[in-house]
Amino acid sequence: MNDPVTALVADDEEAPREQLLLALQIAWPELDIKAIAVNGADAWDAYLEHEPQVCFLDVRMPGLSGIEVAQRIAGRSHVVFVTAHGDHALDAFNTGAVDYVLKPVDGLRLAQAVQRVRARLMANANQAPPDLARLLQQLGVQQARRPAPLEVIQAGVGREVRLIRIDEVLYFESDTRYTRVVHAEGDALIRTPLKELLTQLDPERFWQIHRSVVVNQRCIASALRIDEGSMVITLRGREERLPVSRHFQGLFRAQ
Amino acid sequence: MSPFDKIDWSQLWYPGPTRRFTQAEIQRAGGDAPSATLSMALMLNAAMLSFLLLQAAPPQLSGVLSALLIGLIVSALGLGNIIWRSPSRRVMTLCTLAYALVWAIAAIAAKRTVADPEQRLWTMELLLGGICVATVCFLFVALYRAHQIELRLRELDERERAEELTRQLADAQIQPHFLFNSLASLQHWVQTKDERAGPLLASLTAYLRATLPLFNRRQLRVGEELAAVQHYLEVMQARLGERLSWRIDVDEAVRELNLPPALLLTLVENAVEHGVQAALHGGSVHVLGRVDGALAVIEVRDTGPGLTPGATEGTGLGNSRERLQQAYGNRARLTLSSAAEGGCVARLEIPFAPSTNHE
Repeated sequence: MNDPVTALVADDEEAPREQLLLALQIAWPELDIKAIAVNGADAWDAYLEHEPQVCFLDVRMPGLSGIEVAQRIAGRSHVVFVTAHGDHALDAFNTGAVDYVLKPVDGLRLAQAVQRVRARLMANANQAPPDLARLLQQLGVQQARRPAPLEVIQAGVGREVRLIRIDEVLYFESDTRYTRVVHAEGDALIRTPLKELLTQLDPERFWQIHRSVVVNQRCIASALRIDEGSMVITLRGREERLPVSRHFQGLFRAQ
Repeated sequence: MSPFDKIDWSQLWYPGPTRRFTQAEIQRAGGDAPSATLSMALMLNAAMLSFLLLQAAPPQLSGVLSALLIGLIVSALGLGNIIWRSPSRRVMTLCTLAYALVWAIAAIAAKRTVADPEQRLWTMELLLGGICVATVCFLFVALYRAHQIELRLRELDERERAEELTRQLADAQIQPHFLFNSLASLQHWVQTKDERAGPLLASLTAYLRATLPLFNRRQLRVGEELAAVQHYLEVMQARLGERLSWRIDVDEAVRELNLPPALLLTLVENAVEHGVQAALHGGSVHVLGRVDGALAVIEVRDTGPGLTPGATEGTGLGNSRERLQQAYGNRARLTLSSAAEGGCVARLEIPFAPSTNHE
């Protein structure tokens, strides 16, 4: 426990985000804030990139809500929610022993929340943080208006715009500033970053298996464990092997 | 359709109020005893009539006739009270029959036993006349009371409904989440001496000043409401920065119209919450008002994800619709739809008649 504890801070509004960062400097000076996210999609991507030990998540964010990000983190990291009075999630937080701080952030309350998280980090150094799956499941249902999942991808190829039906997509892969769409008849580049595209895909049909890979679940042929901690999948009728990062290996388990 | 179809023929042989009230309804309407004014008017009428009768009658009969009159009046008042308490056709008919039966027997008895022909004639006339007058009075009491209960119940229903709507509106409107989030930004900017603090505080104060009295009014000029909308958008603009852009574009003629308060504000809040805050790259809100023939049309457009198929409308919209209906009946319409170019449009149509629209 000599290394500083790593953290992620996510809030879509600038001032409350800055305020939380300032307050954290006082309440937990040695905390190493690895990433600051400005929406839910960003927060999830930053989580996968840095795998911080503590996540401070605003509840209402575009892309993914704080609740949805916590659902995806699935207990692998300590979550402290940040929200304001009047949020309907508060009642559930109180009954479910969830850590949260209220906006505007009060230094004393934040110090108490920090204290609780530190105590848990100490006690569970070798143990996963409590998984709030059931509680978050209930809360996740009460979501804001969402666009219907994407049905067609419009990719510019030279001077034409090609329409790719979502069912024909094999997988999406991050490619620096673009996203590569691999489909049955070839591939195309689109400008939407993968982390944003993710929020428009049906999570039942498209599985994220790596920070930079989302695959059409119907095209997966097999998952192979290479050695401790590393796994790849193969696709039907294709040569390529796609990496499965540690966080997502739980998706593939023999029944 | 002949005019006779509208006549309830049963009233000829079975008169009285047709609506039957439950005991609970009568209790709710209140007024178990007839009003003092009504009782006094009836008493005075009875006294006047009796006085005239006694003047016309031979003086030697006045003792007997007075006694009969008191009996007739007291028993009629007793039955009248029963009818007052439950003014149904059945109770009224039973009371009338009982009254007529008792006094008709008295009249027959008088005919058989009273020897003096003059006294006999006067007694019988008085009793039969009393029955006729009382019957009419009973019918009057029953109809009057039934009508009174009905009006009172309707009034109570309407008042309760209005209170319920106002309460719902207040619950939906005073959003602590909005307030505390705005305060969070404000607090931070004050602490860090950011120059955005001043304008945000001014907008927030103006917004609160404009919205808090909204709930006490039945109608509000669109122009006044737009001022509240503008302050709300200014607050959100300060908080969201470049993520929000907005425009209010409403004709003067439309600004003069009246609307139930907070209706437009609710639509704009929904547009910001679902159309802008929920979008990764933000968006814009456009409030548009114009006159289109006999209609005034106000639209709130956003650039968000539009309506999700199968999503239910929130309580805010249902409440708005109901209050709009109370104010304008079926002449106003509020619809929510996905725009062809993306985003969501809330469209409000109200009849345009500027000269008659003022309160």
